[in-house]
Amino acid sequence: MKNNLFKLMTLLVTASVLLAACGGQPAAAPAPKELNVWITWGDNPQQLQSLFDKYGTANNIKIIVTAPVEDDKVLPALTGSEPPDILILGGGDLVKSYYKEGLVVELSDAIKTGGVDLNDMFAAPLAQCKDGDKILCLPWGTDIYALYWNKDLFEAAGLDPNTPPQTLEQMAEYADKLTKVGADNKLEQIGFIPDQAWGHTDLYSHMFGGFWYNNDGTQVTANSQPMIDALTWQQQFFKKYGYDNVLAFSTGFGDQYMSPDYPFYTGKLAMMVDGEWQTGPNFIAKFKPELNYGVAPLPAPANHPESANSGMVAGTVAVIPANAKNQDASAKLLAWMMSPDIIAEEMCYNANLPTSKKAAQDKCFTDNPKFKIFVDLMGSKGSSYVVTTPISLEFNDAYSLVEEKVLHTGADPKTELDQLQSDFAPKLEAALK
Amino acid sequence: MAELLEIKELTKRKWNFNTKWSRRTRQNFWLGVLFLSPWFIGFILFTFYPLAASLVYSFSEYHSRKPLVWVGLDNYKTMFTDKLFWVSLWNTLYMVMFAVPITLITSFLCAVLLNLKVTGQSIYRVIYFLPSIVPTVASTLLWLWILNPQAGVMNTLLGHLGINGPNWLSDPNWSKPSLILLGMWGMGSTIIIYLSGLQDVPISLLEAAELDGASWLQRLRYITIPMVSPITLFNLITGMIFMFQYFAQAYVFRGTQGLGSPLNSTLFYSVYLFQTGFQYLKIGYASAMAWVLFLIILGCTILLLKISDRFTYYAG
Repeated sequence: MKNNLFKLMTLLVTASVLLAACGGQPAAAPAPKELNVWITWGDNPQQLQSLFDKYGTANNIKIIVTAPVEDDKVLPALTGSEPPDILILGGGDLVKSYYKEGLVVELSDAIKTGGVDLNDMFAAPLAQCKDGDKILCLPWGTDIYALYWNKDLFEAAGLDPNTPPQTLEQMAEYADKLTKVGADNKLEQIGFIPDQAWGHTDLYSHMFGGFWYNNDGTQVTANSQPMIDALTWQQQFFKKYGYDNVLAFSTGFGDQYMSPDYPFYTGKLAMMVDGEWQTGPNFIAKFKPELNYGVAPLPAPANHPESANSGMVAGTVAVIPANAKNQDASAKLLAWMMSPDIIAEEMCYNANLPTSKKAAQDKCFTDNPKFKIFVDLMGSKGSSYVVTTPISLEFNDAYSLVEEKVLHTGADPKTELDQLQSDFAPKLEAALK
Repeated sequence: MAELLEIKELTKRKWNFNTKWSRRTRQNFWLGVLFLSPWFIGFILFTFYPLAASLVYSFSEYHSRKPLVWVGLDNYKTMFTDKLFWVSLWNTLYMVMFAVPITLITSFLCAVLLNLKVTGQSIYRVIYFLPSIVPTVASTLLWLWILNPQAGVMNTLLGHLGINGPNWLSDPNWSKPSLILLGMWGMGSTIIIYLSGLQDVPISLLEAAELDGASWLQRLRYITIPMVSPITLFNLITGMIFMFQYFAQAYVFRGTQGLGSPLNSTLFYSVYLFQTGFQYLKIGYASAMAWVLFLIILGCTILLLKISDRFTYYAG
């Protein structure tokens, strides 16, 4: 018995010593053999992989692209010990809170190491990433929204198919003419739903001359007049035909987004506010190529003509996680991503806006007249960007609730926005300390 | 043989540390510890340490790459003034108060029916049990389609009966009842447990009652229900604990909307906890919420057990 026990203990001790010896190699930090790139979107992961393979073969590194990555996987990766070397996010909402928690690095050094030309970037998308004079992310393509309308439905309703509404008020009148109510009060066709796939109050409030933050993200302006106007204007589209009615008709629109059943494609929805990707190869051209539609900048309200021909920019940004093993390698890969040729190739494929001025001159963007409308909007003087703060996600969720209450149940915009303002003004103050 | 005598000796004697152990006893003891060690190490690393850590976090502000900031009871104090905390608590209590009893009563009645000697009894039992083995996410997605207000089966069927089906998914008054329906569809395991309990109801008692002129309903009420009361207690407690932690179905049910849609009606306690900790990055606050939930569940379980003496009858 004693012999057996002794043998067992010796075996265990020897085994653990061997294991410790094997595992304890000091980490050198030579040029990495492979780099990991995570993208939180990606309808065609193979295309993204073959794009990054270009960098890989030219630099003798293996680039592993993982796309799409669920949002829930991003945080554990950033806080853990195996983050990607470059993280590409669908939007910049969380970048400031990631930076506040120390999960991503400020990019000034990386920009110098990699040789990124900031002057080649359009102002509005780059401004999304700035925090004072720090740069927290770099835009990789961006999005802007405009008005789409179904020309056939316009004609059927007696409207000129080639002339979009000229003011937001006129748009409401057109929507009325384009809405058909069938037997037993059920909707058959609807002119416009302000939040048909997701909310666009950022654009509407911009058209009314404001936003829910002030310009540098230091104050919450949730109950400012532009916000109240934006919600009041949106509310009428639901109020007129009955909140429940419109909701019953539009529930599930969001689920049909990338499919031939999308209501704008099937003629159930006459006008929509959507992004530039619809004019590219992966949306209308893919699901309903015969659709006869027009695109124009969203009209301004009658009392804010200065907003005409402008929009709100928000889109894909790339960050370098603080835990990434080789910051220099990440910086070089990031710089390659930002070069005009690569931006031109990727944004052409995805029909996203090229954030590089040189890339924007590529034929791919200038040949398609419908797409060019968006490129011009992005570069337009009046266009602004979606301001973010360290509490963006929490605020956005609370704001979405307000928007739901106002648009889907008829709550009073001013009361709800006043409450939102009083809830979040102190939170932003605390977060910015 | 010698070891058996050793063990007998150990159990006879009072545990006295002054007793000198024989070498063999000592070896046996340490051998036992050695064999326990994998489990024990796992317990410390994966259960005890996270529990203790979350308790510490609940009194601090957690930053993943910066040192912990001790804030004392601040997180707990914030809970009282946080509107969404009370909304989530109310939503969860709603489910506990309505979903658990409704599911319990329905599954008991189904079990009674499935206990009747009819042809095809085993087929019926299979049919009622099958939905409970469909994975949670798949069944929730399925019900999202069934309950679709425009195109779903439910509203189409109701339409044939002349009823205008409600907005199951986007009306905040109907979202929780939809989830209760989903839960009732998958109550197969509760039915099975009741079924097995029904087999233990003494037939002699039932026959005696029938001879004395008791109706079917009286036999159910005065014999069957008390006889299965321990099972009712078990199902009640486990159902309540499950409902307090309700998460997966609510998380999938919102479809493409934000968490808690519509209008925060599906923002349950665990959902809000998840949102606070992993989306808003307030892990300290989320940990505090987790410990409060633990205390609530503990309190409710103790309460239930205390009052269970009144209605539970344990057959000899």
